[in-house]
Amino acid sequence: MSALREFLDDIVADTDAVFLFSPSASLYQSFEDDDTEVVVIAPENTVDAETFVELPLEFTDMADRIRFGVEGALEQEYVEEDADVVCIGDVFDDTPDSIVRVQVAEFSPSGVYGLFVNSRAEPSVINDVLDVAVELGKKGQKGKPVGALFVVGDAGKVMNKSRPLSYNPFEKSHVHVGDPIVNVMLKEFSRLDGAFVISDGGKIVSAYRYLEPSAEGVDIPKGLGARHMAAGAVTRDTNAIAIVLSESDGLVRAFKSGELILEVDPEEY
Amino acid sequence: MQFDWPAIVRSLFSREAVTAVAISILVLGVLLAYLAWRYMHYFLSDAGIDEAVEGTAFERTAQRFGTSTVGLIATLVGISIYIGAMMLAGAVSQRFQDVSLWSPFVAYLPNLFVALFALMIGLIAGDKAKLSVSEKFRSIKLPEAELLPELVKYSIIFLAGLVALGQLGVATEALLIVLAAYAFGLVFLGGLAFKQLLSAGAAGVYLVLSQPYSIGDEVRIQGQRGIVQEVDIFVTHIESEGEEYVVPNDQVFAGGIVRIRD
Repeated sequence: MSALREFLDDIVADTDAVFLFSPSASLYQSFEDDDTEVVVIAPENTVDAETFVELPLEFTDMADRIRFGVEGALEQEYVEEDADVVCIGDVFDDTPDSIVRVQVAEFSPSGVYGLFVNSRAEPSVINDVLDVAVELGKKGQKGKPVGALFVVGDAGKVMNKSRPLSYNPFEKSHVHVGDPIVNVMLKEFSRLDGAFVISDGGKIVSAYRYLEPSAEGVDIPKGLGARHMAAGAVTRDTNAIAIVLSESDGLVRAFKSGELILEVDPEEY
Repeated sequence: MQFDWPAIVRSLFSREAVTAVAISILVLGVLLAYLAWRYMHYFLSDAGIDEAVEGTAFERTAQRFGTSTVGLIATLVGISIYIGAMMLAGAVSQRFQDVSLWSPFVAYLPNLFVALFALMIGLIAGDKAKLSVSEKFRSIKLPEAELLPELVKYSIIFLAGLVALGQLGVATEALLIVLAAYAFGLVFLGGLAFKQLLSAGAAGVYLVLSQPYSIGDEVRIQGQRGIVQEVDIFVTHIESEGEEYVVPNDQVFAGGIVRIRD
């Protein structure tokens, strides 16, 4: 066992900060009195930690969660750029079962934290739209897979860079994403072609929009279709972000500034 | 018309039978009180009262005395039924000749119960309101913001106390004047402080309902020209070339809207 212990000592040696992912109160308290910096990363600040990064969604993949946490901690200046961080989290169950060491300097930010926090739209709105897209991806429309494109934030500009394909079903309505009825409504409307436009505050401005940004020079991975291309292009031309549910592979992808930021598999939720 | 039931009973039965009736009333009263106590317990728990009051100061105090809010209310109801039965039995049998001595007290009892009840509800509602208000202000870490929940709590308790004292027939005029002054201050100063917000909100209701302009339209409001980004009840966000104007909705009404179509 001594080899194992030594190895573990090596991993946790000279760390600048400890990241606790969704810790229990007792775990947090045992670390709180320690002299290393403790950052709590969880969907909700249940332990009243001072240094806290809010997880907008339950990343099932530990790597995604760490990525988000490190980017968030960097952004909020909880850790330095050359810090060594030990992450304690769970891979399988809700009990902490793994220790991961991350060197912040050798870490290429994907912008997933910025997607949620530094976008025009409110984080809760982005979160709600992502939830809706995941839900839609899981169930589809009457069992068949559907595709959908949500453009979130900077709605005025997006509306000016798009045109209606037909009458807007959300005209003079006051529906916000996150309202209980919305899931059903969007599911019904997802059979329409075109994009959903959602404002900074979460109001569903329009469905049935044909986006007309110039797609020239938009660099998205090969193999993705016109819907993704439109999403990439519209986020480059405006300050909006786009959340796309792919009809062919069923994945939910998020775009910002013309780049693919996040890829989520609805089946894993 | 009102029947004098005790007199009717006495005229119908013999003296011994009257005593028997009185005793049976007493027994029935005990039974009824017990049933009411049980039923209240069951009913209140079923209605979720015990969960609703959980964590309030009143519930904690009650638990320190080995009971709970639900238990207290049930006991109160049981006792009031039992005392009622006792009174009825006493009246029927006319055992207590000097009725006049304690009848004021008897007449007073229902008021006392109502007062206790009002006080209890006031204490619990005050605590609850305080909790929900402080929940709302949790994100605002200002010492001043902590004053508001306390203020709400004591306002409710003050009202409940006033109701209770009114029931007991205590002179509450002075307290009523304090309440009136308080309410006046709240309405007057509140109205003064929220004047702008209220008029913006009233204008916003119209804007949201009839949508003279919607998100994506280019408009000019009070000399600010730009694209509408967001319309809510209080403000309209207009953006042009990286500058976002947040225009209060009453300004939209005061100055009118120019929609730019070309």
